[in-house]
Amino acid sequence: MSGSKPDILWSPHHPDRYVICDSELGLYRIGPVGNSETKAGTLPLSEETAATLLAINSDTPYMKCVAWYPKHEPECLLAVGQANGRVVLTSLGQSHNSTCKELVGKEFVPKHARQCNTLAWNPVDSNLLAAGLDKHRADFSVLIWDISSKYSPEASVSSEKIRLSSVDLDSSSVVTKPLYELGQNDACLSLCWLLRDPKLLLAGMHRNLAIFDLRNTSQKTFVNTKAIQGVTVDPHFHDRVASFYEGQVAIWDLRKFEKPVLTLSEQPKPLIKVAWCPTRNGLLATLTRDSNIIRLYDMQHTPTPIGDETEPTIIERSVQPYESQIGSFAWHPSSQNRMVVVSAANRVMTDFTVFERISLAWSSTTSLMWACGRHLYDCVEDGAEGVDSVIEKDIATKMRQRAQSRYGHDTVQVWKNHLLAGGSDPQLKSLWYDLFYMKQCAEDIELKLQGNKQSVVYSGIKNIVKTTSGTTESRRCWSGSERQSDVPRYHSEERCLSLRLCGWISRGPDIDVEVFLRSLEQEREWERASAVALFNLDIRRAIQILNKGATAEKGDLNLNVVAMALSGYTDEKSSLWREMCSSLRLQLKNPYLCVMFAFLTSEPGAYDGVLYESSVAVRDRVAFACMFLSDAQLPRYIDKLTNEMKEAGNLEGILLTGLTKDGVDLMESYVDLTGDVQTASFSMLKGSPGEVLKDPRVQCWIENYRNLLDAWRFWHKRAEFDIHRGKLDPSSKPLAQVFVSCNFCGKSISYSCSVMPHQGRGFSQYGVSGSPTKSKVTSCPGCRKPLPRCALCLMNMGTPVSNCPGTGKSDERLDLTRENKLAQFNNWFTWCHNCRHGGHAGHMLSWFKEHTECPVSGCTCKCMQLDTTGNLVPSDSS
Amino acid sequence: MDLHILDHRLRVISISKNGLVNFTHPLIKLIFLRNRTRCKFFSLTETPENYTVVLDEEGFKELQPSEHLMVEGSIWLPLNVASNGNASSSSQAVGVTKIAKSVIAPLAEQHVSVFMLSTYQTDFILVKEKDLSVVISTLEEEFNIYKEVGGESVPIHCQDVPNGLQKNGKEAIQPTVHPVVIPKNQFCVMSLDPDTLPSIATTLIDVLFYSNSPKEDAANQGLDCIKFFSFSLIDGYISLVMDTEAQRQFPADLLFTSSSGELWRMVRIGGQPLGFDECGIVAQISQPLADSDISAYYISTFSFDHALVPEEDIVSVTDMLQHQRKDPAAS
Repeated sequence: MSGSKPDILWSPHHPDRYVICDSELGLYRIGPVGNSETKAGTLPLSEETAATLLAINSDTPYMKCVAWYPKHEPECLLAVGQANGRVVLTSLGQSHNSTCKELVGKEFVPKHARQCNTLAWNPVDSNLLAAGLDKHRADFSVLIWDISSKYSPEASVSSEKIRLSSVDLDSSSVVTKPLYELGQNDACLSLCWLLRDPKLLLAGMHRNLAIFDLRNTSQKTFVNTKAIQGVTVDPHFHDRVASFYEGQVAIWDLRKFEKPVLTLSEQPKPLIKVAWCPTRNGLLATLTRDSNIIRLYDMQHTPTPIGDETEPTIIERSVQPYESQIGSFAWHPSSQNRMVVVSAANRVMTDFTVFERISLAWSSTTSLMWACGRHLYDCVEDGAEGVDSVIEKDIATKMRQRAQSRYGHDTVQVWKNHLLAGGSDPQLKSLWYDLFYMKQCAEDIELKLQGNKQSVVYSGIKNIVKTTSGTTESRRCWSGSERQSDVPRYHSEERCLSLRLCGWISRGPDIDVEVFLRSLEQEREWERASAVALFNLDIRRAIQILNKGATAEKGDLNLNVVAMALSGYTDEKSSLWREMCSSLRLQLKNPYLCVMFAFLTSEPGAYDGVLYESSVAVRDRVAFACMFLSDAQLPRYIDKLTNEMKEAGNLEGILLTGLTKDGVDLMESYVDLTGDVQTASFSMLKGSPGEVLKDPRVQCWIENYRNLLDAWRFWHKRAEFDIHRGKLDPSSKPLAQVFVSCNFCGKSISYSCSVMPHQGRGFSQYGVSGSPTKSKVTSCPGCRKPLPRCALCLMNMGTPVSNCPGTGKSDERLDLTRENKLAQFNNWFTWCHNCRHGGHAGHMLSWFKEHTECPVSGCTCKCMQLDTTGNLVPSDSS
Repeated sequence: MDLHILDHRLRVISISKNGLVNFTHPLIKLIFLRNRTRCKFFSLTETPENYTVVLDEEGFKELQPSEHLMVEGSIWLPLNVASNGNASSSSQAVGVTKIAKSVIAPLAEQHVSVFMLSTYQTDFILVKEKDLSVVISTLEEEFNIYKEVGGESVPIHCQDVPNGLQKNGKEAIQPTVHPVVIPKNQFCVMSLDPDTLPSIATTLIDVLFYSNSPKEDAANQGLDCIKFFSFSLIDGYISLVMDTEAQRQFPADLLFTSSSGELWRMVRIGGQPLGFDECGIVAQISQPLADSDISAYYISTFSFDHALVPEEDIVSVTDMLQHQRKDPAAS
């Protein structure tokens, strides 16, 4: 502090006052900029605040340290430690205050002069002022003065000997006898009173940290260390103390004082100030010499890091208030994370607030929360239709609802999954129909006979048409008309398969769309049905369908008009009909009506009006392409369309890509767009060839979906999903990791059952599984000794709780009623890991519904409370 | 009690009065330009005979060999006794007196030669490096001995040092009783804030380097008054010993001393230069002082030893020493 090193002290009781001390003391008041703008001599500290110099005190030369009286009254009393060891009480701007008049000017003089390094007021017994001095061979280095003590008469004897201190003050204000003298023949570099007991003083001595107890001054607790400077107690945690040596900060816990609990990373330059934030728990600010940054250490309370998720114990940050070098800083006593910084030169001051770290968390449902300082923010997306509709649209809400409606679990009528998903999403509809048709084809025995054709089914139309061969070309007549059509149509096995995958035709060699048309009529998709009929060169059927549509309930009468227009079709190249249709068709709102006329008016082989009409379903366009594009055109078109779909993340494209790597790419862009890992997981599991399942992206979706179910506490759904997954992807089944061993022979009692295909999650269901002859296993299969008894029914384990059918094949399990499934679980053996008592799971569950203690008499183990997840309730109802 | 073997390797040097001029530059550098040297231990004592310099090897590099420079051959290690604070000593006697019984007497019995250097802050006992094992084995019963290595105190035991118990000499020679001189001038022991050292620089240079020429004869006129001035700068702490006449030249408010303004009288030991091998000299003086509970400073120099005792005790000390000389067997 001698001239070059300024320090800041904040008033303990006035949040707007602080003192800067360098060669003199300056008292400042901090206030909003606006208020003090008119006054001269205000110094701007930040955009909002400015400081006004209230008073200057330059009475005390050779200042080495300053401490502010901790009590309210007298309010601006300061103790100044000088280079010669004298401690002087002084005040700032309080000249007329009578309460401190008799204290101001009082001097406390050590027997042997040497530098006063540090001062500390006792926070409770504020008469006590501790001073830490340099070493003297014959004197003490920690002197505790009583500021209220009067001039002691015995000092008058020695006062005649005061020859050297020529600048003698009137002796009534000089105190030479300290209340306590501690630390003989040692140096004291830093001091602080412990907050846990006001009789304890922590001192950084020459080679150790020592705790002096004023009730018994001959004893001290000490620990040898180099880190003896700047001792300071954490105001929020009274056993935590920081001290430093050179560039290293040590954090001590007074309850375990043998060595530092933490040492912070060493700085290249020596430290000059270390201070705990008074408004924030566990935040320590440090400043090194010649530095323009303040380092902050955020000490978390996390015990030991578990996994990668936990934060490190200390988070280090640094703040830079301004460019120039910092002389000192002081935390604001009450304003959160705020400090004033003074520059090393010229007393440039800055007021700033350390921004709190923001931690952010997505909930597993729809909300986003973040915490900053003492505030918690809930972020809600504000849509035009209000909050509720936004939440409705949120993928998390949708997935939750879909999970509850067993979306994805219909493995027979695969297409029905889109209804389980709500039936309102055209992409999902297309996806599940694609998967349904693929499954149908794959199971088709006729195709199997044709030499494993079904293996290509899941590889998508893109791959199927690549291998096309033996294409024949035909020119068919318009059905119901004698006219020869000049439209060429192409046929091959692959094209036929593609049409099946598109859902236009069903099995059989003939291309018969009648079934498909009827189903479309049933769904009142008149325009689409009519277009499909037309593409099959059945113009009469097309007109008929349109008529039907017009006359049906709530039908569109305009369809009749379209039918009339259609009936006027002529293949005359330069007819008025052609000319008008090709231009007016663009005004038709329905894309299918539009493409019908596009088809009729295009030249053969140039069907861009149909193929690139993006409002038409991909499956219809692909089916059309398979019928009317040549071998050269077809793969080019399909490739182009595939890439388009992949880029857009459009699930309709799964028809083209199949469940291949391309399909995963497409799904990836879909997930990127929507976050719908649920659909991604279920659909990828359908691709029975294991290749796609090994893709790390697919595994990631599946794991994330499982985590999501766990987060929602949908544990039953999670289990169902795992079972579903295990069936489709046998490699995902976990191996048994826990075995129940016999108390007598030590062998696993479940080994006889381990051949069972479905092993659950490690807990063996030995009591209820196995072949019917072994269904009652009440003794160890190894040594034939009886198994333990259930603590409640006193029957040996292995005895069923109620009637229980054998599990048999896993497929059957799905059809079991809910009661049966529960009954099965009731038979499981469960036990407490603490007291090792247990019994049938069902018995235990009902016992602990009403009791907290173990059912075994005399055992006081609170088994259920030890189970942290035992208190959680699943939120799915099944 | 703890005994610290400090991390300094010291040389003891004498500069002749005439030769001082050759060493002005390095000495000023060592005294005033702390940041320019890596010397951590420096002491300069002027006596009528010569200048004694005690400094570590870093500081020793600054001094050019010269005919005016006499170097004692050994490496000396400073020991420092620290009361680890458990016992707040009731006795007022401090300094050499306090450690006379526990350190100095046992070392004298083991024939270990010691070189004492008292400062305002503490007392250093310098022993030869070759004697270290004897020192440790002698003192380890009484003290917890630590060796400072790079700022860390490491506990050390007898077995850690090669050739452990080896006494320096077998036969207990009756120590020579050296004549003493008690000059009339009064001394004070003082300290100084190192930050204010520049403000007394000119006075200090004047006292150290330009003092003897006009008062040449004064030093020789009997031994009523003796020329004695000591300056040390050890681990950043400054200590000064000077007589009241020299003290008057310094600004009064900068030098630290005791608030009671105590003054000291000197007892100079030795008629002939004492050399560095004889042991028991310090013990000879400190033992009787300890018996009478009189505090003392003790500063050894190249030729003689100097004890400082409180002014009010000088009469009893004189009596005691005269008695000792008349009847050496009684002590």
